[in-house]
This record gives sequence, structure tokens and C-alpha cells, in this order.
Amino acid sequence: MKALLHDMTRCIGCRGCQVACKQWNNRPAEETTFFAGPGYQNPADLSAKTYTLITYNEVEQNGRFDWVFGKLQCKHCLEPACAAICPVEAITKTESGAVVVDRELCIGCQMCGTVCPFNVPRYDEEGDGKMHKCWLCFDRLEAGEVSACAKACPPQAIFMGDRDEVLKEAKRRIAAEPDKYIPDIYGLEEAGGTCVFHISNVPFSALGFPTDVPKEVIKVARAEIIPSLNGINPAAIAASVAVAGVGWVIKRRTELEKNDN
Amino acid sequence: MTSHWIDMINADVVMICGSNAAENHPISMKWIRRAKEHGAIVLNCDPRYTRTSSFADHYCRLRSGTDIALVGGMINYALQNNRIQKEYVANYTNAGFIINDGYSFEDGMFAGWDGKKYDNSKWAYELDDDGIPKIDRTLQNPQCVYQLMKKHYKRYDVDTVCKITGADKDDFLKMAEIYTSTHKRDKVATWLYAMGTTQHTHGTQNIRTYAILQLLLGNIGMAGGGINALRGESNVQGSTDHCLLFHILPGYLTAPTTAHVDLKTFLEKTTPKSNDPKSANWWQHTPKYMVSLLKAFWGPAATKANNFAYDWLPKRNTVHTHMHIFEEMFEGKIKGGFFWGQNPAVGGPNSNLERAALGKLDWMVVVELWQTETATFWKRPGVDPKTIDTEVFMLPAAASVEKEGSVSNSGRWAQWRYKCQDPPGVAKPDSWVIGMLVKKFKELMPTLDKTGVPEPLTKLYWNYGDHDEPDPHLIAKEINGYYVKNMTDSKGVAHKKGEQCKNFVSLTDDGSTCSGNWLYSGSYNEDGNNMARRGPNDAMNNIGLYPEWSWCWPINRRIIYNRASVDLEGRPWDPKRWVIRWNQNLKDGKGGWEGDVPDGGWAPGTVYPFIMRPEGHGCLWATGLKDGPIPEHFEPMESPVRNLMSSQQNNPPAYVFGTKTMVGSTEYPVICSTYRVSEHWQAGAMTRNLPWLAELVPDAFAEIGADFANRLRIKNGDRLAIETIRGSVEVYALVTNRFKPFMIDGKQVDQIGVIWHFGYEGIVKGDSANLLTPHAGDANTAIPEFKAFMCNVRKVV
Repeated sequence: MKALLHDMTRCIGCRGCQVACKQWNNRPAEETTFFAGPGYQNPADLSAKTYTLITYNEVEQNGRFDWVFGKLQCKHCLEPACAAICPVEAITKTESGAVVVDRELCIGCQMCGTVCPFNVPRYDEEGDGKMHKCWLCFDRLEAGEVSACAKACPPQAIFMGDRDEVLKEAKRRIAAEPDKYIPDIYGLEEAGGTCVFHISNVPFSALGFPTDVPKEVIKVARAEIIPSLNGINPAAIAASVAVAGVGWVIKRRTELEKNDN
Repeated sequence: MTSHWIDMINADVVMICGSNAAENHPISMKWIRRAKEHGAIVLNCDPRYTRTSSFADHYCRLRSGTDIALVGGMINYALQNNRIQKEYVANYTNAGFIINDGYSFEDGMFAGWDGKKYDNSKWAYELDDDGIPKIDRTLQNPQCVYQLMKKHYKRYDVDTVCKITGADKDDFLKMAEIYTSTHKRDKVATWLYAMGTTQHTHGTQNIRTYAILQLLLGNIGMAGGGINALRGESNVQGSTDHCLLFHILPGYLTAPTTAHVDLKTFLEKTTPKSNDPKSANWWQHTPKYMVSLLKAFWGPAATKANNFAYDWLPKRNTVHTHMHIFEEMFEGKIKGGFFWGQNPAVGGPNSNLERAALGKLDWMVVVELWQTETATFWKRPGVDPKTIDTEVFMLPAAASVEKEGSVSNSGRWAQWRYKCQDPPGVAKPDSWVIGMLVKKFKELMPTLDKTGVPEPLTKLYWNYGDHDEPDPHLIAKEINGYYVKNMTDSKGVAHKKGEQCKNFVSLTDDGSTCSGNWLYSGSYNEDGNNMARRGPNDAMNNIGLYPEWSWCWPINRRIIYNRASVDLEGRPWDPKRWVIRWNQNLKDGKGGWEGDVPDGGWAPGTVYPFIMRPEGHGCLWATGLKDGPIPEHFEPMESPVRNLMSSQQNNPPAYVFGTKTMVGSTEYPVICSTYRVSEHWQAGAMTRNLPWLAELVPDAFAEIGADFANRLRIKNGDRLAIETIRGSVEVYALVTNRFKPFMIDGKQVDQIGVIWHFGYEGIVKGDSANLLTPHAGDANTAIPEFKAFMCNVRKVV
């Protein structure tokens, strides 16, 4: 199983990754004006057109000012809730570690987006009407390559390899420079563990990462399609059982919607 | 660069000053990151906290245009605390050279000023009876460079430096301490700079301060050391090497002036002389390089009888820098122009003037990938095309991947590239355009020529194959040089006509060789196209030289001045990361160098290491510049404050067209600097036409400190008007804590920055920051002062 490590102490925020991602995955540009978030951030958020996004965070820590760059993308959970809930089994956790949406099967019901603790899968409203997200360049992984973002990164802030090795490397870096890094590895425990890790010199909360994601796997049961006269209607899909974690996800979703409004 | 990109991994300290390397040279971070991995400390000085600052371990602020004060302070710190590599300084730099009695320095002025220019003979070395500079290697003589310099920089004490630069005292001292820690023999620092250093009216002297510090610390010629210009275009190194600038011919030979009336005079005046037997004085070979160049230009028509066609070279009698050309164009003195890979309507300083100047041309030709702002200047916003008579020809050009040839990077590596696809539509490679022009000129000159001297074109040797597009291999072979007739060289070796020269040592001044650029001799010899090599192995010293990957000038020497990396016995100062070393067992016990290609094969200690200088020593003291032998702080041409070092406000010989100092100005109280972002490329044609990059930075913007913005009631995303005495722009405001006000001598000064990539063409458009910038330039190079000028800022309501 592969994993990806984004080391924020190495990232220079150049966005080579963001462009390489669009190029490899053939995603169109979004129309933007000025900047859509703090610093140079563009576009405003992940979307069906944007699978990864660099954020710019001005952080004051221990009297020192710093500018730290975060990277948003699918975390490729070990046991992804998105795959569990998908009513048509369009989302698969592959052996390579990548969580992949099969858009041949996807019906665009958006249930995956609803249960994702990281708010990643996005509905392509203007395009194919399906769900989109980073797939860890599954096609490249199958060919023995690293993801497009990892390949493009000039300072090699993005590191890919077998999950065990990547985790070992993350721990090695933190142990080697304990004064530089905060001791946490983001993704190690979040949602039961993921295949995308972040390490940083400032707390993840200062970078806008959700830091209260449950540590255990978010258990959901597969949603059921309720037949309707109009064919499949996303609103008519029921997630039948909600167990641990989903309560948190729903709460967070509500908050996000409130913010949007 | 004196070293190369990979060599950054060898540094103990990496200084990035005058460069936002993470932003503009992201790939440098690959190597700097690897240096950090083995413990290197990264320092960064910049008026603004940048992407580079975020990557650095320590950051020190300075006000734009005060590098000399800052680094002068570091030089003083090194000298006062004896943090220098004494043996290196005494033996390899001109620290011990005695300066003649005519030298003086008083209140900002060096000896020799006549009101317009300096007579730099006043700063010259004192010579002995044999015409050899007098040297006191104990460095005690009060008239030696070391003592003069120590006295000069004593004035740059910490408090004065911080008052001028606005640097925080602790930050400055920490940086000085870390940087000068590399004075130890086996510790080394590299200094990376770019346009933040050069684009000042004292840009050359800015670089000089870095070079002086590097020499004092013994960091030049070492692995992980050097003074390294990060060049702003992928092939700007190659274009400079091949004489893009007006004052040089290929290989940095002097472009002749009207004073150089014939070849003999030219060679006499431009070939440096040295009477010191220990000085290699490499430029003594100028005649061989010049004659071989003339043979490349005019082939069989260049003969001994006609002085190898020297008379056909144009001679200059004035300066023709970018600014001068546009001032003359504006005055109507220039009839037509080719604009080739350049977009002055966006990239030129004082663009209002430069755009207007284009309208004074009868004709212009634009060779470009896209319709740039220069190509469409005649229909720019606010201008009625009917009022412009210039006839404009647009020739679509092929992009770099659509043609074959070499590209030289900052590390002097010439790397061969292959064509990967045909250009779109009727677009053609630049060389095709030039080839067709030459063909047409040759055809028309005999009938159209009015000068009576059509030969420069009619006799031009143009032997690059039968196709309209010149064969890049034939061009490269000519640049390398070949024998133009059968001959026997000075060692008795016979060479056949057409044989490629091995390297520049083969070149002659008798007309038996040609070479389009002596520096590149060796790039395409009888071994083949060395620039196309992709050998993956490192050299025996394992310091990342990769000598069989591409080819680098001169003669594949990866780290130049490397004879300074060893002591007088040929033993490396740093045995772990040695560049070259003397091995007595080589060459049947006669001894030889191993490692990198040495700066000449002479035995250790027999020849001074800085072979390109007639005195053979690294120049703490420079006798050939137009604005002084050692750097002195002056304010930018437009500055809010008085010069605290002397009553001389600005660099006396700087080139200035219509700017004025702004000390105390309430009209234009804010310092402004222009710069680039990762997402856009130069004048923007190549990136503002690409949707993915346009998405990332879709609009022109200025960065403004939160404190200052608050005082002006400006919020992030507001529209800002920035005004200078030359023009105004309207851009978005990015409010940030990365800019903070400076305290300069007790007075608060604000600085803002604006990106200059934008214009009125492309899929995203915006105002060009160069509408604001001045026609004021460095005293030596006339590079414009883009990095420090005065403006006013207000919110657009």
C-alpha cells in the first residue's frame, strides 16, 4: 500500500503540484479574480476541477512570524467512509492505497461527500454530474510511478512510497529535528488512519486542518437507493445506519454550510 | 555562477540575498533542501517575508536598496572579529596589494572624480620597477588593500547599519555570526543572488560586497561556495555568453569602439598585460579568440591582408543600453527595430515612455510566440491607432521545444535539447528568420547598399547547410571552432582542414582556426556533441560535479577558480569536499591534478589562482569599475531618506534620465519595488495565455503591510492606485504581515511591492508595474533601478 507525505517545512508554496495535478488529470482551469483565500490561494476550494489546493497561512508562533503552506487533497483513508456509503459501490479502496471513484458507476448522489470527514469529494455540477476527487494518480501508481504532484514538486516536499516506509520517514524527520517539527503526524490516526500524511512546524489548527476528526474509522452502512418515478434522485437515497463518527461529520458539515451562508 | 546548481548541496551556510529563489527558481530548493538535510543553515535577507524566507532558518529584513550597508556591516564584522580565512586572503586575494598614493576617500567620494566620471587610475596598484604590483602578504602596510578596506568598513558598525537598512539588530548580528562562521578552512557558504541585487543604481557594487565577503571567508572556488547569480531565463546565461549585450562580442570580448581604429589598436587596448611571471593572465590570449571569431564571421573573406575583416565590425561611440536605446527612439533617432523574445511595453522601465517611443519608429518587427503588448502597442488602451504611423510586422516564432539547440543554465552548463514537435501554423524557429534575412540581405545588398561597404553582409560566412533553417549542429560546430586549413600546431601536431578544435587552447591568431565563441570551444569537438552527453556518473571526489552530464564552460570546469580551493601545496582546504587536489603519483611521478578540471594544469603554488585577472588574485579591490574600488553605500536614486554614510546622496556616475530624490517628499513617501511570482513568467506572454497559470494569479496586485494598510483603511482585495512621477497603475491590494514598516534613523518608512507580469494582452490582463519604474540605471551596467523607487498609494473608491 502506497502513501504520500507532505512536509510543510519543505513546501515553498510554488503550486507546481496544483498545476501538475490539473495537467495529468486533465482538469480545466477555474475562473478566478484576485485571490480566493488568504495569501495567494486560488481557487477558493477543492472542486471537481481542482483535486489539490495549496493554502497560505501567516502564522505567529513563539514570537516568530512564519508563512506556512498547506495542501488540501483526498487523504485516502484506510477504511474510507465514502466507499462504504456509496450506494452503487463506485468508490474502491484499492490495494495501492488510492481511493478511486469509478465514474462509469457513479450516479452523482453525493453521499460520499456527505460522510467524508475531510470534505473532499465534489460534485461536478457543470460537467459530468459525477463525483470528483484526488485519486492519488492511481493510473501512475499502477505504472510504478509516483503521483503527478509528487513528481513535480521542486523541493521534494511531497514524498511517496510504501505506506510503512513513508510513515517511518515522517517519524525519522520529526525525531531528527524535534525543535523544528511539531510531534504530530496528521493522518496517522485521523478517521482511523489514512494514506496521506502531513508533518509541520506549526500546529495543524493554525493551518485550517480539521483537528477534531474522530480517531476511529467512520463506520457507515451502504446507502440504499429508494426507487422513484423520476429515476434516481440523490435526495431519495437514505443512509440507513449511522454509527461512530458520522455524528461528527454531520455536525461539521452543518458548520461549513453555516459558514458558506 | 562560479559553481552550479547541484553544488549547493555542499554548503554549510546558504545565503539567499537579492533573490527570492523559492519563488523564481523553485528548483534551487531541491538542492538547498538537500544541504539542509545534512545540517546547512539557510539565511535570507529581503525587504519582504517571501516564499524563500519561509524556507530559510533565519530571516533578516532590509530596506530596498541598502545591500551595501547591510553586507558592508557583515564585512566589518568579519574584519573586526578576525573571522577571515587568513591564508586564503593573504595568498589568493589582493588584500596585500599596495594602492598608490593618489587614492583617497572622503565624504562618499573616491579620488579621481572630475564632475562627470572617475579616473580610476587613482585607485591603481603601486608597481615595482618591473611593473609588478607591490604586495605585503603580512597585510600590515597601511596603504595595502586590507588596511584601506578595514578603515573603510569600520564606518559600517552595527548601529549605523541597522539605522540605514532598518534591519533588526539581533537578526543582523545572528546572520553575521552564522555567515562568517564559514571563515574556517573546511566550512563553506554559498551566496545566491538575482535581480534584487542587480536592479539598483549601485547594482554592480552590491554584488561586489558579496564577492568581497566570500573572498575574505575563503569561499570562492570551494565546493558549496562561490558567488552565484540565479539567472532569470532558462538561457540568459547562454545569451550573455553569446553577446546579447551591446558592449561585448561572443565570449566577453570587448565590442570595439571608434577608438579601436584597427585590429592592431583593438588588440593592444583590449588585451590585458602582466609582468608578473606567476600570473597566467588568461586574457593575454585575446588575439587568438578575436581572430578566430572574425574567421567565424567572415570565413575565407577574413584574411591576414585585410586584418581578418576587422573593419567590417560595427564600432560604437556611445552607450547602447536598453534605456539609452529607448531614450533615442523616443527622440526619433531610430527608424526601425526588431523585438525578439522581448516585450518592452511590459518589461521595460518607464513603459509609458517606451510605449510612446515605439510609435516613433517607421517600422518594427516582432518575433514572438504570442501577440505581446509590444506587438499591439499601436492599439493599446487609450491610444487611437490612427495617430500611430509605425508599420508593424508580426512573425510567429517557434517555442523552445519546437526546435533543436543548446540552452545554457546559470551553472554554465550547455545542455543540448531536441525538437519534440513541429511549431504550430506558420511559426518558425528564430534561426529560420535570421537565415532568411541573411539570404535576402545578401541578395539585395549589392543593389541597395548606400554605404559603399556592403561586405559585412555580402561576405558574411553563412555555411549552415542547404535548408532555410540553419542546421543547429553546424552552428554549434562553428561556435566550438575548427581548423580552416591544414596546419601544424606549436607542439608539432598536424591538423587537417575541417577538424574540430579540441578546445580554446587550439585557437590561433594567424587565421588557421575559427571559433564563434572561444568560451564554448570544447563543446562540440572531435569527441562529438559534448552538450548532448547524459553520463550519470559523478567524478571521483563525489561532490556532485557529474562531469559527463552535458558540457560546461570553460572546458567542462564545473567550479571555476578551483585552484583557490587548495593551499599552496595543492592540498584541499576542505579534504571532505575537495574540488581538485595535487597527486604527485600522476603522470609518471611528475604529478598532476585530479577531481574537477583545474583552472590550468600548472603545479601548485606556481601560478596565482584567479587566472582571468591580470594580477591573478581575487579582487577585494577592483580597479576597473566606474564607481569606485570598494563598495560604498548610496541611497537609491529615489529614496525617502538622506544618506547617513556621507553627504553624497546617490552613486555619482549612475545613469539617470529624469528622476529626482524624494527625501522628505509628502507626495511620494512610499518605497516601491517590483518583482515576480512563481506562477508568471517575465512580461507574462508565456503564462498569462495559459489558463492553469492564469487561474492561480489572475490579476495584478500589490502587497502592502497590514499596519500601513490599516492606516490607509485599505482592506485585502480593495483596489489600489499606485502613483509615481512617471505614471500610475490600479491593482488589487494584498494585505499581509509579510511587509512591515521600517524604522530608518528614527523615521518610519513604508514599503510596498507590486508584480510586473501584467499588461493589456493575454487571457488575464492588468496594469503593468513598469508604468511606475524609473529610467535610472547602474553606473557600470545601466540595469534599471526596478527595485527601489518612490510612490504614493491610495485606495480607489
